[in-house]
Amino acid sequence: MTLLLVILIPLLGAMLPPLMMRWGRGASAGSAILVTLAALGAWGSMVPAALRGEGATFKLPWIPALGLNLSLTLDGLALLFSGLILGIGLLVVLYAKDYLYKSDPMGRFFAYLLLFMGAMLGVVLSANLLLTVVFWELTSITSFLLIGFWGHRADARRGARMALTITGLGGLCFLGGALLLGHLAGTFEIAELTSLRDSTLSHGWYVPALVLILLGAFTKSAQFPFQFWLPQAMAAPTPVSSYLHSATMVKAGVFLIARLHPALGGSEVWFYLVGGVGLATLLVGAFLANLAYDLKGLLAYSTVSHLGLIVALLGIGTQYAVVAAIFHILNHALFKASLFMSAGIVDHQAGTRDLRSLGGLWRLLPFTAPLALIAAAAMAGLPPLNGFLSKELFLEQTLELPFAAGPWWLVPALATLGALLSMGYAVRFGVNTFLGPQPKTFPKPPIEPPWGMRIPVALLVAGCVAIGLLPDLLGAPIVELAAAASSYLEVEGVHFALWHGFTPALLMSGIAIVGGVGLWYLQRWFVPVFDQSIPLPSGERLFRATIAGLVDLSRSAKRAFHPGKLQTAIAWMILSVVLLVGSALLVKLPRWTPSPADIDPSLLGGVALLLLAIGAALYFHRRRAVSLAILGAVGLLLSMGFVYLSAPDLALTQLSVEVSTIVLMLLALHLLPAQSVKERVGLHHLRDGVLALGAAVVVGTLTWLLLIDPPTSATSAYYLAQSKPGGGGTNVVNVILVDFRGFDTFGEVIVLGIAALGVYAMLFGMGLPTRWTRPETPDESAYPLMLGVVARVLLPLALVVGIYLFLRGHNEPGGGFVAGLVFSAAIILQYLASGIGWTQHKMNIPFHPLIALGIFVAGLTGVIAIAFGQPFLRSWFEYYHVPILGEIELASAMAFDLGVTLTVVGGLLMVLVNLSKLPRSTSVRPLTLAEEED
Amino acid sequence: MIELLSEVLVSALILVGAFFTLVGSLGLTRLRDFFARLHGPTKATTLGVGSLLLASLVFIALEGDGLRLHKVLIAIFLFLTAPVSAHLLAKAAICLKVGTGPAGEVPETFDATQSLEIPRDPVSTPPAT
Repeated sequence: MTLLLVILIPLLGAMLPPLMMRWGRGASAGSAILVTLAALGAWGSMVPAALRGEGATFKLPWIPALGLNLSLTLDGLALLFSGLILGIGLLVVLYAKDYLYKSDPMGRFFAYLLLFMGAMLGVVLSANLLLTVVFWELTSITSFLLIGFWGHRADARRGARMALTITGLGGLCFLGGALLLGHLAGTFEIAELTSLRDSTLSHGWYVPALVLILLGAFTKSAQFPFQFWLPQAMAAPTPVSSYLHSATMVKAGVFLIARLHPALGGSEVWFYLVGGVGLATLLVGAFLANLAYDLKGLLAYSTVSHLGLIVALLGIGTQYAVVAAIFHILNHALFKASLFMSAGIVDHQAGTRDLRSLGGLWRLLPFTAPLALIAAAAMAGLPPLNGFLSKELFLEQTLELPFAAGPWWLVPALATLGALLSMGYAVRFGVNTFLGPQPKTFPKPPIEPPWGMRIPVALLVAGCVAIGLLPDLLGAPIVELAAAASSYLEVEGVHFALWHGFTPALLMSGIAIVGGVGLWYLQRWFVPVFDQSIPLPSGERLFRATIAGLVDLSRSAKRAFHPGKLQTAIAWMILSVVLLVGSALLVKLPRWTPSPADIDPSLLGGVALLLLAIGAALYFHRRRAVSLAILGAVGLLLSMGFVYLSAPDLALTQLSVEVSTIVLMLLALHLLPAQSVKERVGLHHLRDGVLALGAAVVVGTLTWLLLIDPPTSATSAYYLAQSKPGGGGTNVVNVILVDFRGFDTFGEVIVLGIAALGVYAMLFGMGLPTRWTRPETPDESAYPLMLGVVARVLLPLALVVGIYLFLRGHNEPGGGFVAGLVFSAAIILQYLASGIGWTQHKMNIPFHPLIALGIFVAGLTGVIAIAFGQPFLRSWFEYYHVPILGEIELASAMAFDLGVTLTVVGGLLMVLVNLSKLPRSTSVRPLTLAEEED
Repeated sequence: MIELLSEVLVSALILVGAFFTLVGSLGLTRLRDFFARLHGPTKATTLGVGSLLLASLVFIALEGDGLRLHKVLIAIFLFLTAPVSAHLLAKAAICLKVGTGPAGEVPETFDATQSLEIPRDPVSTPPAT
């Protein structure tokens, strides 16, 4: 249970920082710190048991039919990663508090950060492959929000889109691979997958599943050839870069490889694929870092390179290689986070990130500079820091490969080359920024930043030094546990030491260090050469070209189906409906045996009237006001039909919806000219006629089939029988709506709310000037006094009628929806009678909260059922005897109905009021009723 | 005897209601100009609907189900709203200068000094929402 809390606390606590913003930025940051500390506390309570090897587990079946369970585990690997996420997360929150500029919305930033933290914790704590996929996607989305945080900057938006596209595509591949793996192994639980390793490796689907899962991991960790999105993501604020793009999110891919290594590793394919990609990334990343001018770009490529190192080690897969990989995960997180933070300090204080405009900052930032230099030394792999230890281990492991990979010296030579390049860019970072000559001016005069930005850097660098000096004490225990969880072989007796004697690895390290310094000297000659003359194949350019090509393709496809004219789009829609439904009907059409029908003559009369009205509508279709009136008549005829067929609820609803819709259309017509333009050519008439006829035939046949053959008679008998005992009401229609099919109604009410919000967003986004009368006494000629007085008198009467309909809905015709429509009609009357300005001034109904409240209340009734151990939305009713009123019935369905009413009122009013705020069309001519049709 | 009386009473009321509804509809179509046509529906809504409601009331009362008076609410609502809608229609017609006859002469009830302009609402900045 505590495991679940560790994930839930940041996810739910993400709501706090935006809410606390009303008490200031300090309160908001404080709440973020508190949430992180709470999660840390929950995590810490489970650490002692985990260190002993008895990590906590948690399992809750979620969708057992799909194999998805909420399974969590805290084994060594999860312990290491969750510790990194929470610990570095706390430091990043502290850092961000002082880093964010005054104009940045702090509450939103911390909300996104905490959401990401929770999602990332979900990835590492999950013990079910499908659950990992869910949290994986969540991290992609939250990282998109974080990268694009400075939304006003074009490069931030581009970087966020690129990151989301690539990691999203990778996530899709991961899902595919996970499904393949789950099906070939029969389970999605990772512990069971591990024990099934032998059968997995010999299965025919092993290679496709492996490739797909690795695609997901490689895209997330920016491995070659997907490394180009990470430098683009550097447009994010530095706290984001240091948290996501060095310590946690990009490590998710590496985590996945480590997590699935016991289940999928050890084969030749694994070795060549994972090892090869890792080694290639190591070299490519280190090379590009040497060419970078942007501080954060350099660090981004360096991160790519180090992740390649870890991936290569996991590809090698022997016991000590896995140990080295885990150790480097820990070390890299420590020094890279601190390096990003110090780069952020330089950027924040000096105003620039460009290496060409920086130098000699050790005089101006005397606290930050030594820390950054130590961290850079750790990155380069200099003793006695932690980076040196893991790099040594790496070089050592390349000497003993489990499978053949060319001559014995090839891989170690490439590894040394990689280490050499690393030294080169580390020196570039440290020396060109902090040492050397100072430029004439900086964009901002650099001074030391607030303590909140310096302490996290200091703590992380202290960690690097501590682990470097005492690796056996501080690093070995956790690394051993984590490596044991990542390997299918036994991992025991892990010892680290600074001095192993004169080993080949030491020689390689020496070559790398000396060569790297030499490389730095040569940089001033070869970097400009690459910059200006040698065009490197750019994955980024290829990506952008692909996306542009896809967008062009979609545009031309869209133009074929939707060239901006409503008629074409509707024609395509109707054609598809006719073809699809028609073909299905042709298959299912039963034999028609004509039987003597007993048709009621009044029904025939009603149908004749309906046809007449529709014919009139067709004839007058270009005179918009007239056709609207005729459509209103059609609606009334339909209501009468409902009354005839003994469906009073439907008739009530049809009437009130008719009124509201007519008002809505009138408002919309206000913006259009009085007559529509004659624009159709003869051929188009033919096409439209054929389409309309086809649609009429299809829909008519469908209705007829429904009416002559009721296959649902068993269902309707059930509803009628169970309505009173099961649902507590005698009005079957209402009981079906709020009880039997309550979940459907819940969904529909949510859709109504979304539709209203969509209309609001569209009107808001159109940017039309709103006509607004000053809130004074309404002008007599525009707003007649009689209407105003009567509207005022009618309001309480109508509200009482609405409440009456609402209360009796369960047993007699009425219900929440009709009540809502009656309320809306009464309130709209006020707006009509006295104008928007005056009415809004006197009666300011908040529409958005009303919609939200309605959905919330409806959902709450469902959730309360769960609290009582019943399924969602199970209703309850009880009879009580009240002294004067007699026996009354209380039903939870009434609360649900209340939610429906509130949403209907809010939604309808929002649409109507916002439509009526728009000005009249400037070219309007008064509608003259006496005009003849031409 | 009572049954025959009740049947006659209810039928008479229904016929009266139907007759006035017919008269009202005829007036709506056949009278000569807009303002005269406005009088037509008033007959239908008052006497027409009123008689039908009364017929329904009497029928149910004589059936022995007691006097259920909430149908009268329908009539009350109608009496409240019908005059107001007629008033609004008339005002709109005057503002839109709806002609009264083939010669387009101005109706007698209209005061020549009254402004006919559709009031133009001043377009001002909307208050902060």
